[in-house]
Amino acid sequence: MRKLSVLAASALLLASSSFAKEINVGVVMSMSGPLAAYGQTCNEGIEFAHSLQPKLKNGDTVKLVLIDTKGDKVESANATTRLISSDKVVGIIGELTSTNTAQVMAIADKKEIPVIAPVATNDKLTEGKKFANRVCFTDSFQGAVVANYAAKDLKLKTAVVVVDQAQVYSLGLAKAFKDAFSAAGGKIVKEIKVSSGDKDFKAVVSQIKAANPDFMFLPMYHPEVSMIARQAKQIGLNKPMFSGDGVANQTFIDLGGDAVEGYMFTDFFDYGAPPTERSKEFIKAYAAKTGKQEVNSFVALGADAYNLMVDAMNRCANPEDNICVNNEIKKTKGFEGVSGVISMDELGNSTRSAVIKVVQNAKAVYKATVNP
Amino acid sequence: MFMQQMINGFSLGSMYALIAIGYTMVYGVLRLINFAHGDIMMVGGFLGFFGVAVLELPFLAAVLLAIVGSALLGMASDRIAYRPLRSAPKISLLITAIGVSFFLENAFNVFFGGVPRAFPVPSVLEDILEFGGLTIPVSALIVPILTAMLLAIILWVLFKTKYGMAIRALAFDVDTVNLMGIDANRIITIVFGMGSALAAVGGIFWVVNYPSVDPMMGVLVGLKAFAAAVVGGIGSVGGAVLGGLIIGFTEVVVIAFLPELGGYKDAFAFIFLILILLFKPTGILGIDFEKSRF
Repeated sequence: MRKLSVLAASALLLASSSFAKEINVGVVMSMSGPLAAYGQTCNEGIEFAHSLQPKLKNGDTVKLVLIDTKGDKVESANATTRLISSDKVVGIIGELTSTNTAQVMAIADKKEIPVIAPVATNDKLTEGKKFANRVCFTDSFQGAVVANYAAKDLKLKTAVVVVDQAQVYSLGLAKAFKDAFSAAGGKIVKEIKVSSGDKDFKAVVSQIKAANPDFMFLPMYHPEVSMIARQAKQIGLNKPMFSGDGVANQTFIDLGGDAVEGYMFTDFFDYGAPPTERSKEFIKAYAAKTGKQEVNSFVALGADAYNLMVDAMNRCANPEDNICVNNEIKKTKGFEGVSGVISMDELGNSTRSAVIKVVQNAKAVYKATVNP
Repeated sequence: MFMQQMINGFSLGSMYALIAIGYTMVYGVLRLINFAHGDIMMVGGFLGFFGVAVLELPFLAAVLLAIVGSALLGMASDRIAYRPLRSAPKISLLITAIGVSFFLENAFNVFFGGVPRAFPVPSVLEDILEFGGLTIPVSALIVPILTAMLLAIILWVLFKTKYGMAIRALAFDVDTVNLMGIDANRIITIVFGMGSALAAVGGIFWVVNYPSVDPMMGVLVGLKAFAAAVVGGIGSVGGAVLGGLIIGFTEVVVIAFLPELGGYKDAFAFIFLILILLFKPTGILGIDFEKSRF
């Protein structure tokens, strides 16, 4: 009898020790290198969301394992392999860019580990993959948002598109915009291709001025866009300009100066117009911890990638079951995130709202919310 | 429209020319393709940025700071990296130059971060002149004038001064120059100082024209300026200016007439480079190195 109770006690002990498990979730992010500023911002969101909700419903603790990819494709692939084989992660959050995320998703898909990309918007990323998911919108949605807003709300008829042909992001977004704008009755009067790394766009803006469109769409990243905006202003080209989320950061406004006043772009989230209860709480907690009132949209999306992962793990009987976690991620409907209400589909893409912002007095100001 | 594009080409071309002059100077003397030239230009841009934005110096003082700082850096790189290899094969020197280039890029990346910063351009240089529908930024006018002035100064130093004579002699034969009682190392240091000062001027005016500074900004420009120096005939100062203008015009013409292929404008510029080298391997104003220099 006594023996038995000892046995029972030890069994209980064993059970409780296995009860307070630590579950590894991997994070691959550009923490150094040219894109470090964005990677660090995004990771800040992941870590802050983790600090708010470090435990699962069943009491298990989530441990984040962060690996820096230095913004590199090969490093991203290596980091993913390491997380899966030696850290035994249940899921992975990351990477930052579409190009690097493609590497992460390709490897994780083979090992059946679910990935949630916070900000990688390229349409093709999730195609043909079972374990690839994202909390941001896709480029085709983003392109359509700009096209419809320009054609229907602003009544603009003709556009010039400048494409950065060295970036998959730019090509995809430009195509989505052109299709949607033509469908909405607009006309693309000229398309000019450039290449990232360029600084001199005087010839480009002279061409645009000669074409005299109602507005310009520049689906590129901020270093080139800020130079185009400046040089456009120099030659007196004062047409409205639009971009996607590639310019959604303060660096763009700093580089562009006066020339980007009135510039419009799509973004995921605006802290001035919190879309859900959860965003309000998050913004309050974030301000209390960091003293910063402004929550960057990359912080919000990083947080949502983590929140969605934890939410899916909570719905699984065994949160370490990667197949179940992946299925639950894809079944998520009407999830109240920090960045907005997120619904996932079978492909792992999210349906969510976009916001349009405009630069006023060297700050990005909320202009409108567009629902899908 | 056509005239406007010609002005654009001229302003871009003279920018490349300004940077190519420094390339060609160092090559003429040491037969070293100084791959770190573009990065010294970046350092010049950064020093200018610090002068104006952090120390709040007047623009000209910041330019002076950039020139002196870059010249010292160029001399230091010669003293530390190149001088020990003076008698080594030329290829070792070339690899070292690539090493210096990587070192500068990464050092600036570590200490100042990779996020581009906005350069506060003095408002005088931001003015725009208009003539009958043509718009000409003041900076686009200043760069060619500056290039011409620097070209004149360099030619004067090379051909009218004692140091210039020593530099030209050095380009023929380092050992013999030493035998003549000239301290070759000192002259080479002066050449590096001059070349780097030119790079700094190029860097400052690059960030005035395109107001953003980041540690990688010198890479592509350096490559184009190098191509310009080769097209014009590397080693020839006048050739560097000509080559810079040719590369600048090629890029603008591609965008003006073939906007769909605009992303390939660099390819066009480099195809042009190959064509010229096929027919004139020494470049347009190139010199047969066994006969003369500069």
